[in-house]
Amino acid sequence: MLMNHASSTLLLTALLLATSCSSGEVPSDAFSTFGGFDDMGGDGDPDDALFAEPRIRLLLERQYVNAVGDLLGPAAAMAASPRADVTLNGFDAIGAAQLSLTDADIDAYERSAVAVAAAAVADPTKLSPYLSCTPLSPSDPDCMRSFVDAFGLMAWRRPLDAAELDRWSAVGVSAAADFGTFTRGVESVIAGMLQSPNFIYQVELGAASDDGAGQRKLSGYELATRMSFFLLDTTPSATLLEAAAAGELDDADGVRGWAEELLLDPRARLAFNSYFEELLHLRKLAEIAKDPGTYPSWSPELADSMKAETIALIDEIVWTENGDFRDILDAEYTFVDEALADHYELASPGPSGFQKVPVPPGEKRGGIFGHAGLLSVLAHVSSSSPTVRGKFIQERMLCFSIPPPPPGTVTDLPSTEDAKTMRERLALHQEDPLCASCHTIMDPPGLGLENYDGVGKYRTLDNGAPIDALSALDGAPFEGALELGQALREREQFSWCSVLNLYRHATGHVEASGEVERLREVDEAFIDAEYRLEAAIVELVSSRAFRYVGEQN
Amino acid sequence: MNNPKQYKPRKAPIIRSQGLSRRTMLRGVVGGATVALALPLLEIMLDQHGEALAGGGPLPRRMITWFFGNGCALNVTGDVNSGLRFWPSAEGPGYDVTPQLAPLANAGVIDYCSVLSKFEVKAAAENRRGHHDGCTLFSGYPFIEVDGANYSSKSGGPTIDQVAANEIGGQTYLPSVQLQISKRILTTEGPTLQYLSHKGPDQPLPQIADPQAAWNKLFASFTPDDDPTTPHRLAALDAVGEDTRALKQRVGSADRIRLDAHLDSVAQIRNQIAASAPECMQPVQPSETNTDIDGQEPLISVNEVMSDLLALAFACDLTRVASVQFTGSVASTVFSDLGQNMGHHDMTHEAAQNEAIDASTIYTMERLAYLLSALRDTPEGNGNLLDNSCVLVSSDCSSGLTHSTFDQPIIVAGGGGGALKYPGVHYRSPKRENTSDILLACLQSVCPGASEVGGTLGHSSSPLSAILA
Repeated sequence: MLMNHASSTLLLTALLLATSCSSGEVPSDAFSTFGGFDDMGGDGDPDDALFAEPRIRLLLERQYVNAVGDLLGPAAAMAASPRADVTLNGFDAIGAAQLSLTDADIDAYERSAVAVAAAAVADPTKLSPYLSCTPLSPSDPDCMRSFVDAFGLMAWRRPLDAAELDRWSAVGVSAAADFGTFTRGVESVIAGMLQSPNFIYQVELGAASDDGAGQRKLSGYELATRMSFFLLDTTPSATLLEAAAAGELDDADGVRGWAEELLLDPRARLAFNSYFEELLHLRKLAEIAKDPGTYPSWSPELADSMKAETIALIDEIVWTENGDFRDILDAEYTFVDEALADHYELASPGPSGFQKVPVPPGEKRGGIFGHAGLLSVLAHVSSSSPTVRGKFIQERMLCFSIPPPPPGTVTDLPSTEDAKTMRERLALHQEDPLCASCHTIMDPPGLGLENYDGVGKYRTLDNGAPIDALSALDGAPFEGALELGQALREREQFSWCSVLNLYRHATGHVEASGEVERLREVDEAFIDAEYRLEAAIVELVSSRAFRYVGEQN
Repeated sequence: MNNPKQYKPRKAPIIRSQGLSRRTMLRGVVGGATVALALPLLEIMLDQHGEALAGGGPLPRRMITWFFGNGCALNVTGDVNSGLRFWPSAEGPGYDVTPQLAPLANAGVIDYCSVLSKFEVKAAAENRRGHHDGCTLFSGYPFIEVDGANYSSKSGGPTIDQVAANEIGGQTYLPSVQLQISKRILTTEGPTLQYLSHKGPDQPLPQIADPQAAWNKLFASFTPDDDPTTPHRLAALDAVGEDTRALKQRVGSADRIRLDAHLDSVAQIRNQIAASAPECMQPVQPSETNTDIDGQEPLISVNEVMSDLLALAFACDLTRVASVQFTGSVASTVFSDLGQNMGHHDMTHEAAQNEAIDASTIYTMERLAYLLSALRDTPEGNGNLLDNSCVLVSSDCSSGLTHSTFDQPIIVAGGGGGALKYPGVHYRSPKRENTSDILLACLQSVCPGASEVGGTLGHSSSPLSAILA
C-alpha cells in the first residue's frame, strides 16, 4: 500500500496533543495529511475499489495564467500573478492536491484577480463573448445575471446553480450601482469569480456509479476540465464543455476521440514541454549556481540554451516524428545553438537559433543523459555527482524509491588528497554494508556518466587522475550516456515509470493499488503502439484510472 | 463546526495625530538610505515609566525563529564524537566567547544570548531521515513522511512561531511574516526542508526572498481608507467565502480541512484590506532585490535590508512574529564572500572541509548579529526591541557529517519582555533534555499562558527554567 499507516496514526495523536497558547485547545488550523489511500474499498472488487479519493486540486501557476488568457485575453494573462507551485512527491500537481492555501496565497489570488479584471474591462472586446444583452441601466440586474451565467460557465467550467447566480449577480449589481457603470459591475464580478475556489481549484467530486464498487465517475464537466488542464495546460474550450454537456465524454471511446482531438492543438506541445521541464528538473537550470572558478563558461544564458536543447529533442521525437519515446534516451543527434555548440566544442550552427546536429563525436553521448542541461542540474556547484545522477535515474526514470540513509550514518567522503577521482571517493559507498544497500543501486548509473563534468563537458581526467566510466545499470554494463540510454530503453520499468509519471502529474496523486491495474493496461497499449507517447497519453486519458475517482473519505 | 477559531476584531495599528508634536524619530537604514520613522507606540501609548502601555497592558512581545542549514563544524576534524566547536566551555552567565560566538560579542549583543548545548530533538526520533528530523526542532512534532514516490515530508504540526501567531497575530496588521535570505534552497523533498514556518502539515508558509517584495508586503500593501473599490473587494471576498462554504459541504474530510484554512485566510485578507494604514512613516523602498551578481548571492546586503525592515515592522507594530530562513536545509548556498566554491550542504558532508564549515558558521553568526543589533538599536520604552523579543536560532542537525539531532546548535536571544534571563547563560543539559522545553520557554515569553508545545515524542509541558528570568 502507498500510505504509511504509522503516519496517519501519528497524525491523530498529534491532533490530540496539539496545543496553542491557550492550553489544551486544539488549534483550528489543524492538520490534514495527504490523500489517505487506506481504509478504502474493503468490500467489492479488491482491485478497482482501491482508487484514490478525489481531492480538490489547485490550478498550477501556468494553468491559472493560461486559463485567464483564454477567458479574458493576453493583457489579462499578463496581469495574472497566482501563488507559486509547491512540489510534493516530485510533482507540483501533487502539492496542488494536498496543500492548503495560506494568507499569502489568498492575498496573491485576490490581488491577481483584481488586476486581471481591470485589464480585462479595459478592452471591451474581451467581454463580448459573455455579454449577450445591452444593459438597460448601469445596474441592469437581468443583464448582469446573464453575464454571470455566461462568464461563470467558462470560468468555473460548469453551469452555475441559482444560489451562485444570485450571489455573484448581487456583487455585480452593487458595484455597478455604486460607480454608475455596468462595466464596473462586470469588473467586480470577474475579480470575485476568479478568486472563487470554483475557479482556482479543479473540483472533482464524481458521482456514485452503478458499475464499480467504491468508485465515483467524474461528470462530463469534471472530465473535460481534467482533460483540458492535463493535455493543454488550460481551461476547457466552449466546444469541449458543450461536448461534455452532450454526453460525449461519458464513455471511454468518446474520451479517446476527444483526447486525440485536443492533442492536435499546438498548445499540447507546450503543455508537455512544461511537463518535461518539471519532470527532468530543467526548470532548475535557471536557479542553480555553478562555481565560476571551476566552470567559467556557465551563465544564465547558457543554462537557458541547455534547457532548450533537451526540450527540442523531446519535442522532435514525440511531436514532430511521433516516434518511439525511448529514443529520447539514445538519440544520436541533438539540437544546439551557438552557445551550446561552443560548450560542446562543435562547429557553430550560426546565429539563427537551434540546429539539428549529430551528437559530439567520440564522447559516448546520445540521448538526454548526454545533454549538458540534465548533467548540470544533476551535479554539485563545483563537481559532478554520480550519486545525485544515479538517484535521479532510479527514482525519476525507473520509479524506484531509494530508502533514506540509516540513522547515525556518517556521510564523510575521503578528501581529494586520499582519493583522486569521484569514483575512488565513492568506493566506500560500495564497501560499507550500511551504505552499500542503497548506494549500489544509486551510484553505478551515475558513475557511468563520470566523463561528463558538473556542466556536462566531456573530460577524461578527474583531479588529474584518469576516469574509469565503465559501470552498470542494475547489473547491465555500460559506459557513457549512449550506452546508459540503450540499457534504459530495454528496461520494462522505463515505459511503466513513464506512464506513472504522467499519471501522477495528470491526477495529482501517487497511484493507488486499484489504479495500478488499470495503468498496466495503459503501459501495454504504450508498448503495442511502439512506444509512441501520444498513444500512451490517449490511453491514459481514456483509462478508468483517469475517468473515475475513489470514494470520498 | 470543524473550525472553532474565532477571529478577533482586528485593531488596525493606527495612531492618531495627538502625539505627533512630541513623537520620537527613529533612525532606520534601509538599502543604504537613512530614513526617519515615527515610533508612535512610545510617545502616545506608554505609561510614565516607559515600561508598559498607558492602559496598563504590557509592551508588545515578539518572536523570531531564525534558521541556518546543515549544522556546524566539529571540535576535532573528522571525529564525530568530539562535539561542536560552537560551544563555550564554561556554563552560566559570562560564558567564554568561542570564535563562532564572537560576532555576537563584537556586536555587543551576546549578553542577550543564551546558548543551549546537549539537548535532544525528541520529536526527531519518531521518523528518521537526515535533516528532515532535525527540522522538527522548530515545531516539536515528528515530521510526516509522504512516501510512495520521490520521497517528501511535511511538518507534523505548527512551528512555534505559528503557535504564537495563532495567539497574538490577530493584534497586528499581519499575523506573521516569513523571510528568506539565501535562494539556494532544496525544493524536491517537500515542505519540511523547503520552509521554516508551518501552520500545520498542509500549510507551509511561503517565504519572501526579495527585499522589495518584503517592503511591499510590510509597508506598501495598505489599502487607502478612501479607496472607492474597497467595499466591492470586500463584497467579492464575502461571496468567495459563501462559495467556499458551499463547496465544503460537498468534499471529503481532508478537503474540508483545506477549505477551512481557505476560509481563515479569506477572513484574514478581508481584515487586512479593511484595516487603516498605520501612521508610521514609510521607509524608502530598498533597491536590493536579491538578484545574483555574477552568479553569487548578495547575502550580506539582503540580510541587512531584511533585518532593518523587520526591526521597522516591529517598531510600527505591523507584526509581532517573524521567521527568517537564512540558509536552507540541504541548501547549496555558496559563501562566496569567504572565497568558498562548494555548496554548503555538500561541504558539510566532508570531514576535510571542517575549517570551511567553521568559517561558514562564523559568517552566519555575523549575519545573525546584524539582526540582533538592528533590534537592539531600535528603542522602545525604556529599552529596545531586543528587550521585548525572543529570537530562537537553530539548524537541522548538529553537524552535517553526523546528521545527529542531539546537540544541535541553539541560541535563544532577547529579553522576552523580561521573561527571559538577562544576561544570557550557557546551559549544558545534563540529561539530554527535550528541545521542546526551549520552545515552550520561548513561547511563554510571548504567550505567558502557554502550557505545552509539540506532539508525541516531541511534546513538552516543562519550559526550560534555565533561560527563564
